[in-house]
Amino acid sequence: MSDISVRDVTHQFGATSALAGVAFDISPGESVALIGASGSGKTTLLRLLGLQQKPTKGQVKVMGCDLHEAKSCNLRSTRSKIGMLPQDLGLVPNLRVIQNVILGRSGSRSLAGTIRDLAWPKLSEREEIFRILSRMGVEAKMYHRTDTLSGGQQQRVALSRTLYQGAKILLADEPLSAVDPARARDVLELLTSLSQEQGFTLVVSLHQLELAREFFPRLIGLKEGRVLFDGSPTDDEVKTLYQDAQNHQDPVRG
Amino acid sequence: MKQASTGAWKLWLGRRWLLVAAGFLFLFCLSHLGLKLTHHTEGYDAWAGTIRFFQASVSPSFTDENPRLPADATPFLARLGEDLIRTIRYALIATAIAIPAGLVLGLLASSHWLPKFLRWPVRIFLSLLRSIHELIWAIFFLSAVGDAALSACLALAFPFAGTLAKVYSELIDEQKRSAHDLIRGAGGGRAQAFLSGIFPTALPDMITYSLYRFECALRSSAVLGFIGIETIGLTIHRSFENFYYGEVWTALYLLIGTILAIETFGSFIRRRLSQASSPKQTTEQNPTEETLRKSAPRDLPLRASALAWLSIIGLAFILGPSLVNSVPEGQRAERLSRFLTKLTPDPVAPSTQLASWSERLTAWKEGSQELMPWLANNWRNPGAEALGNTVIMAIAAVLIAGAGAFLLIPWACRNLASAQPMGLISGRGKIREMISLMIRGFFIVTRAVPEYLYAFLLVGLLGPSAWPLVLALALHNLGILGRLWSEVVENQPAGEARCVIQIGGSRLQCFLAALLPLSLNRFLLFFFYRWESCIREATVLGMLGISSLGYYISIQKNFRQYDDILFFTLLGAGAIILGDLLSDLIRRKLRIGRFDV
Repeated sequence: MSDISVRDVTHQFGATSALAGVAFDISPGESVALIGASGSGKTTLLRLLGLQQKPTKGQVKVMGCDLHEAKSCNLRSTRSKIGMLPQDLGLVPNLRVIQNVILGRSGSRSLAGTIRDLAWPKLSEREEIFRILSRMGVEAKMYHRTDTLSGGQQQRVALSRTLYQGAKILLADEPLSAVDPARARDVLELLTSLSQEQGFTLVVSLHQLELAREFFPRLIGLKEGRVLFDGSPTDDEVKTLYQDAQNHQDPVRG
Repeated sequence: MKQASTGAWKLWLGRRWLLVAAGFLFLFCLSHLGLKLTHHTEGYDAWAGTIRFFQASVSPSFTDENPRLPADATPFLARLGEDLIRTIRYALIATAIAIPAGLVLGLLASSHWLPKFLRWPVRIFLSLLRSIHELIWAIFFLSAVGDAALSACLALAFPFAGTLAKVYSELIDEQKRSAHDLIRGAGGGRAQAFLSGIFPTALPDMITYSLYRFECALRSSAVLGFIGIETIGLTIHRSFENFYYGEVWTALYLLIGTILAIETFGSFIRRRLSQASSPKQTTEQNPTEETLRKSAPRDLPLRASALAWLSIIGLAFILGPSLVNSVPEGQRAERLSRFLTKLTPDPVAPSTQLASWSERLTAWKEGSQELMPWLANNWRNPGAEALGNTVIMAIAAVLIAGAGAFLLIPWACRNLASAQPMGLISGRGKIREMISLMIRGFFIVTRAVPEYLYAFLLVGLLGPSAWPLVLALALHNLGILGRLWSEVVENQPAGEARCVIQIGGSRLQCFLAALLPLSLNRFLLFFFYRWESCIREATVLGMLGISSLGYYISIQKNFRQYDDILFFTLLGAGAIILGDLLSDLIRRKLRIGRFDV
């Protein structure tokens, strides 16, 4: 059974259509890169995969849950298995690192539990978070305010949050956008190795074609809301992906 | 590109248009107010009185000036101290009530909880709470409840809850939603996502604003003295009327000192909240969770002040005489019922004062066709004129304040009026720095004294006319605008302005060519924000005896005609809400304009 199944999905914002007739499946544990120019529908697709929005038409099924028949599954418990790494990371700037990490488990906590976790985290939780932060190399910052960390460190904190969440799927929206080019490879290295180590499904949206080819066995190319290729693309397919979109981004250099 | 240039052109016209309109408005106000600043009775030597008053500023009294006090009377300083403590106590209790109430109402008014059609009634209710001045709330509560202390606290708490709620809801709506969305995306509930994703980021601003409101509550609490509640305002009132000017100055200095102390505390807290405290250095190579937690950065002064603050609020409730003590237990309901009768418009009021609900209802039905003529009559005489005078006073005041502050800020703001303007060394600067310090001090002091107090003193010195009220409003708002505008200029990035100095421009050229264009939008934002509060304040200033809404309110208060008071109050409230909407509209336009260019 596939983890994610997308059937004939069309999504519109008012009159403009962001996705048109998109369909694919992703199996558990697979690593996939979504590539395409700005405005090709990558972020919209990730939001749909995160069960944050209903598609205008078609079906998005994630771990057996479909928003159109949300009654049949527990939406919150399904969401608690989907980790998101948005472009702006979604960290609360004036909370401490440990508090931001703890918020990863909001889906399996009550309101009172969240308040308790934020104010008085239990010893077992503190130790678990310490282990995760150590794996990410930012354990020294555990009790610092999140906005005192550098951009790269904050990204690791956001990743720690999804690890603490115990996500079965990680959806990362352009994780290289705020990373300096020299460190881009490190970030992808970390993401793919974590995915293998923890066995979660990884879907990453990327601009950088060369890096995507290097790290991901399967690439889904989007152009103007349609799937152009799915698998490992030939050079010709790649060329058409960025045609008419030269002014957005240089595809090769990234 | 074309669109952008027309947008900029429109904006340019918009600003010019505003300036021209302001000029005409001011001329219109002048023609209405007349040019005569003083109105004294024949034979009164105005200068002698004024000079004597200001001479007393250098010799404040420490003992009673009244020679005929009995020997066992409480000495002046002790009495003044008690008044001050009472003033602070009422302000504390009122803010302690207003903050939780404002929090709940603010949450309801924000875009997070209620659907839009339910949010609007809440917002209208909030505007109504805010637009009725605390002095008028106090008049109502004194009659309805009776206990001066309780009335004072409630009168401050009601409008303050409205203001706090409005600002809280705006602060909540301003926060980025990404953390909120992420928590929702990870399966968190609405309440969880709000509490952990939005609330923490809004909290520092909410705390600083609440502290500022406490400072305002203190000023308002002092002003309540002018309608007879025993706060420091009452002492000032009495001493001034008896020409004990030394006593007036002592009280003024004490009040200003207290307000400055609170402001200093507020800016200390703001500084602490905006920056993370630096962590202690750990010497260990591989620290454990335990050592990290022990060496976690903690802001002890911040925690200590929070604790101190909470205990002071607690003490304000517990210590001192009970808030409810002057009305015998059995008479409360009766009192309230009598107040309700007087509050009901005359044509529809029941014939007996202690009427039952059904009697009230029948009286309402019987007299309902008389209600419209009653309203029309009140509007013709004197409602319309009073409202007009009130609005004119507010407009004249805010224009004067704006012009004054505008002329002063190039000499006041720290980045320009220093020996190193915009960080570049200039030859001279000591005198500049002195002037800047003096002007900023002037801003602080003018803002510390409430408008009503200025108005009272100025009416005493200049004689009864609208001008002392206009000047009082202008003086207080000059201080506020000066401070806010200076901060705007000081927060501008140095780049463009430094260029002007770099190529040999003067400080004034730098201000006009670089800093002013950058800051103008925010200047106007604050200007309209002050305009709102000027209208609100102008409605009550008339209580000092000048033909405007407040004047008729104070007259009807003497006759206990609460229905007429309600009419004038709601008339004023309507003007304030209209002014609010207008200024909201203009501010929104300006904000959009900011991103257009």
